[in-house]
Amino acid sequence: MRGIEVKNFLLAISLIMGLALSSMSQTSMNTMNTRAKFKATYILNFAKYTEWPAAYKQGDFIIGVVGDNDLALNLETAAKTKKINSQTLVVKRFKSPAEVSKCHLIYVAGASTSAVDPYINKAKEYNCLTVTEGKGLIERTSAINFVVVGAAMKYEMNKSLFKQQDLIVSNTLENLATKVIN
Amino acid sequence: MKRLVIIAVVLFSMIPIALRAQLDPVSLALRAYQNKDLPKAKELIEIAVGDDNFNGITKTWYFRGYIYKDLYKAAKDSKSQNEAVELCSTAIESYSKAIELEPKGELVEDCLNSLKYLSSTLYNDAAFALDANKFDTAQILFDNYSEVIKMINPNLDLNQRIIEFKLYKASKYSYLFDNPRPSDNRDEIGNNVVKLYEEVIQLDEENISANYNLAIHFYNQGVNIIENMDYEQDFETLFAIQAQVMDLFGAALPYMLKAYELNPLRKETLVGLSGIYFGLNNIEESEKYQAELKKLENQE
Repeated sequence: MRGIEVKNFLLAISLIMGLALSSMSQTSMNTMNTRAKFKATYILNFAKYTEWPAAYKQGDFIIGVVGDNDLALNLETAAKTKKINSQTLVVKRFKSPAEVSKCHLIYVAGASTSAVDPYINKAKEYNCLTVTEGKGLIERTSAINFVVVGAAMKYEMNKSLFKQQDLIVSNTLENLATKVIN
Repeated sequence: MKRLVIIAVVLFSMIPIALRAQLDPVSLALRAYQNKDLPKAKELIEIAVGDDNFNGITKTWYFRGYIYKDLYKAAKDSKSQNEAVELCSTAIESYSKAIELEPKGELVEDCLNSLKYLSSTLYNDAAFALDANKFDTAQILFDNYSEVIKMINPNLDLNQRIIEFKLYKASKYSYLFDNPRPSDNRDEIGNNVVKLYEEVIQLDEENISANYNLAIHFYNQGVNIIENMDYEQDFETLFAIQAQVMDLFGAALPYMLKAYELNPLRKETLVGLSGIYFGLNNIEESEKYQAELKKLENQE
């Protein structure tokens, strides 16, 4: 009996080693841009709670994106099933200010005015809702600016820049902004 | 004449022994065992155990241990797990009884080796049960394993094995949490994951796997909520979802920071910290750990 015992015992020990090693396996991290989907959902809400001039209420609803591929991807995914006020959603990615064409809303990534301004200025040639994410950009650059309050993504608003673009902002959008510049 | 008397006495004394051997249930059980007739061997050894003439003899329990051990091995694949576990428990009880009857006897070493074998088998079977998502059976097997180990070596610190088992169990629950079956209660599974990792941390607060995996469990839950979120949400719902996700990322952070404290050069932890801070909208901190990761990769 002993020979078999020793052999079995060694086999068992080797299996134990296997278990010990397998227990070290770790849970894999789900990698995704966690902010991009929230941002896309916010942007769709901005569009929902803003009114454009009559000429912009027909045809496609165009959202321009600068410098944020993940956001563009999320908006493109949303565009497959969602509409904005019964208008088909179209996403355009702009890589230079010269590329910026007529759009209802433009999101420009970048924290500094020097990076953002050329795109925003071009977009302002249209009745375009301008959205950014950068400290101080709400003062004179964009109509809506993403900010972080606590750990949550929120937004601030410049009502005068809405007016400048002939856009009417709803009370809901205004009431939920963390800061409103008139 | 004297010599003849001695031979006669010896022969006389041998007759009842030989006769007894034929009727002795222990010897008959051994013979059945050697003939690989385990059910018969079991039946006979149980007769011996129930007979006061034999249940005080070490060999009765020693053979019983072997018979039940082999029954357990045979039952593992063909019978229900609970039945197999019972057979194993009987084998363990028999070996320990044999040791108890003759603590310094010649069979002690063999009994201990058999118990060691059974302990290893139980440990591995517990792991196999986990692989098959039989969590309750796995726990019973592991508890039996612990009992045997305490019997073999009362001074041995079992913590390391308990931690290994809990980590493995948690990883299996974690997989089920991510890939639930239709009948699964996902919340309950998620609670089990958290409970197990927390138990490991209680046993060893410097366990990097438990800290890291618990952080990832919370983080992934947050990510799953975002992934499953519809793009069309009113602000109220969007804020509520965001708060829920931030809570989960916030819960992940201290465990990931602990994992980082334990090993600042571990790439997965740097990726984890960068991801958690990014999710918490703390871009500055996220980029800090990204930079550490890049630096580490450049050094390789």
